[in-house]
Amino acid sequence: MFYRDKLSFEDEEFKLKVGFLHFSSCSGCQVAFFDMFEEAVEILDTVELVYSNMLTKRRDLPRMDVAFVEGALCIEDPHHLHLVKELQKKAKLIVAVGGCASFGGVRRLSCGNQLPQPQHQSFVPITEVDLVKPKVKYAIPGCPPNPSLLYSFLLALLEINEDFLLPFELMTFSTRASGMDIFVEVVNKGFCVGCGTCSTACPTRAITYNYECSRPAFNPGLCVYCGSCLAACPQSFKPYPQPTYT
Amino acid sequence: MVALNSRFLLGKYREAFVVDGKGENPIKAIFTLMLKFGLIDGLLTASKDGNSPRLIFKAEDVEIPVRNSCFGVNALLKKAVQKYRLSRLAVFGPACTFDGLNKTQYFGIGCNWTKTAVALKISFLCPGVLTDTAFLSEVVDITGKRAGVSRFYFQKGKLHYQLKTGEEITVPPSFHHRYVNSACRYCLNLSGKGTDLTAVYLKERDKVLLIVRSERGLSTLAQVQRSSPSTLYFRKADRKEVESLISFLKEKVILNITDIIERVELGLPVPKWNDNKLRKFYRLWNSIDVNSEEEVF
Repeated sequence: MFYRDKLSFEDEEFKLKVGFLHFSSCSGCQVAFFDMFEEAVEILDTVELVYSNMLTKRRDLPRMDVAFVEGALCIEDPHHLHLVKELQKKAKLIVAVGGCASFGGVRRLSCGNQLPQPQHQSFVPITEVDLVKPKVKYAIPGCPPNPSLLYSFLLALLEINEDFLLPFELMTFSTRASGMDIFVEVVNKGFCVGCGTCSTACPTRAITYNYECSRPAFNPGLCVYCGSCLAACPQSFKPYPQPTYT
Repeated sequence: MVALNSRFLLGKYREAFVVDGKGENPIKAIFTLMLKFGLIDGLLTASKDGNSPRLIFKAEDVEIPVRNSCFGVNALLKKAVQKYRLSRLAVFGPACTFDGLNKTQYFGIGCNWTKTAVALKISFLCPGVLTDTAFLSEVVDITGKRAGVSRFYFQKGKLHYQLKTGEEITVPPSFHHRYVNSACRYCLNLSGKGTDLTAVYLKERDKVLLIVRSERGLSTLAQVQRSSPSTLYFRKADRKEVESLISFLKEKVILNITDIIERVELGLPVPKWNDNKLRKFYRLWNSIDVNSEEEVF
């Protein structure tokens, strides 16, 4: 883990410097992050929030160990282009938070290449930008991700719980994840058990449960490409510590 | 070499009891008593035929699936936890339901704060789930007659169906294997590892073999027994009863492993985020022992 190359837990002064960067998004991921309430108190002595467009007054981007990035990069916005360059210089490790930063999210539905209307601009998720790609180590799905997921993720990051972090590492390699993936990756490949976890994970009800065939039903018009369904599916990756083959 | 022993097939467990419900399905009785005495505030399971999920709040409404068919249970999870704010939820279903639930609890994906909302997990020993039409075809294949299945049970290490006509038939695993959901053909957790209790339906309608896996499962049974001592009768299961179960599981798991190996040899794809689960299994099949880590949240 290169973000603590020079620091160790034995060092009493150690505080993980985290920042929350906002690109083009609704800020829901950042709200979810701060929605941890009392659970966040448990980790405040090991984490220092050095930058957030909501909670800190800083204009310049400080150096940080972990940068949580929400939103997709708008190609037409000079501020975003500047921010992504700064991010590459200042952050040791980047975590793409939410569907927009990880897989494009609802920004995949924009249809233009010019300012000023958001629907007329063009966006790319941070996982597709080559400049910062080597530093984007994890992608967290969801629209927004659950506060409990973000809390567990932060804990796993502090404890270097590789078992927990591995799936999020694998997610950075797929730049697109939608409800259709449930069909392509799970149902079509004969792995669907009909448990309904994907439909409970979907924030927009794009995936519902079809009781006639005991399988998920997908409405592409409602999908925001957040990847929650595929991440929640017990067949998409190793579900939790249980009999393993390693 | 992965050993097909009790540890792998049945998992780690504390005790195995044969529970007599004195005229009533013991699992149904457990849930009814738990709801009645406020030990749980809701039950998430499927309908009696297993075709649709059910969220139950009242003791008198309790119904549980009695066929090896149980679909969509987790589809109501968000409703239970976030809409109705249930904090002591009991869940009953096959092992795959708990794979989804445990994953939601461990990672927090899908349904917020589920980790603290579930009070009890009971799985049933699942030989693979079937839809209505698959049941019909399977019965036609075995008996040559068209009839629906009303319940399934295990007796002396064999899977049996009770048909809606009242007839009882033995289902050979090789026949059964053809009709189950294709995902069930790659499943290696038929016994519901990762739950508090596993119920094995027996021939008598009012008896189940209950495999107790966790401390929570044991203390819940003790609480239920304390609250209504005359409803359920517990007897420690004989070694033979457990062993017959293991012999069935072994037969079924060998079929499943054959399918996994065949799938890998054919080069059929696996989901993109699963870290090559099946291929890894195939690669290591002959060289290592299984690292059995089980956790109940």
